[in-house]
Amino acid sequence: MIRRECLELLAGKMTDQLVVTSQSGQRIEWSHFSQHEGNLLLGMMGCAIGVATGLALALPHRKVIALDSDGSVLLSLFNLTTLGNLRPKNLVVYVFDNGVYSGSRISYPTATAGNTDLAAMARSAGISNACTISELGDFKTKGIDALTSKELGFFVCKVEESLLHREIPRPKTDLAENKYTFVRYLERTEGKAIPFVGRG
Amino acid sequence: MYSVDPASAEMKEELARKLVQGLKSAGIDFVSYLPETRLSQILPLIRDDPAMELIPASSEQEAVTIAAGATLGGKQAAVYMENTGIYVSSYSLLVTGKQLGVPILLVIGYLGGVPDQRNSFLYATIGKHTIPVLEALEIEYRILEDGEKLESKIRDAVRAANAQRAPYALLFAGEFSE
Repeated sequence: MIRRECLELLAGKMTDQLVVTSQSGQRIEWSHFSQHEGNLLLGMMGCAIGVATGLALALPHRKVIALDSDGSVLLSLFNLTTLGNLRPKNLVVYVFDNGVYSGSRISYPTATAGNTDLAAMARSAGISNACTISELGDFKTKGIDALTSKELGFFVCKVEESLLHREIPRPKTDLAENKYTFVRYLERTEGKAIPFVGRG
Repeated sequence: MYSVDPASAEMKEELARKLVQGLKSAGIDFVSYLPETRLSQILPLIRDDPAMELIPASSEQEAVTIAAGATLGGKQAAVYMENTGIYVSSYSLLVTGKQLGVPILLVIGYLGGVPDQRNSFLYATIGKHTIPVLEALEIEYRILEDGEKLESKIRDAVRAANAQRAPYALLFAGEFSE
């Protein structure tokens, strides 16, 4: 399975969901397939699931999606135990697991290339709906179905290492610009002011 | 061995109520946390207050990212933690707090600082590095040692965090650590 195929499928299903990405090739691919104002393209590893959890708790009526990677989740394994207990029903986490630190340019293997099973860890942490998806057909069903499910979903998507994202122009919006677009979109669609934006 | 004087325990309860009331008055409606020793009496008060959401985290690093997400989603969020949590969460404070520019009030039990009434060899090293680390992260802070004008000091801190689009730290010691 190729990550880009999954993201393209997912992008076609987006309506008013909020999507938080971590720093990896999927951030670039996602910004290529989806220019939705509800995208928060975080440029750091180990933070996407936490930020997505906070959004999901603040806006329990909105579907929130975290797009993460194996290397990034390994940096923030504490998210598993927190999610396993909070179980926000409106959150879906997709972990694109290629088994390598691709950004290192030497494709150094991550723990998931060895004995570590992130989906099993997530289940043990209390996330009932956690599984590994290895085929695009399964992503189309299990992965996409989670968008309409009222249950926390955690999907470890086993993908081949792909460098296709290096052929795509990187997103031009900087972090602050993206943040304000995202926040203004929320203000518009939620019909309320986000407190910190404040008055000038 | 440290023992709790009933009178000081009562005092702490009053301060805890004042602190939580101050958070509420400042608009705080979401608190992610890891418990610690000095201010832990605020937790049941926040938990039982329908106007505030209390979210347990497994790491201070995570508590900061959850608070950042909640803030972006329209909450006025705080993180309650021990000052050791500053060291643990310095990465997420830097990238979600400073780099992304998200205001978060940090409510910190300031262990091992000079005004910590329970300071000992266990805490002194931890305390000594807290302010240099906050300053290295360019996170503004204020040390609070008593309940005087507590409500307005908390309100000032939240206003500063929002204005700066950055975390702001309140370090609680003195009477709060008795």
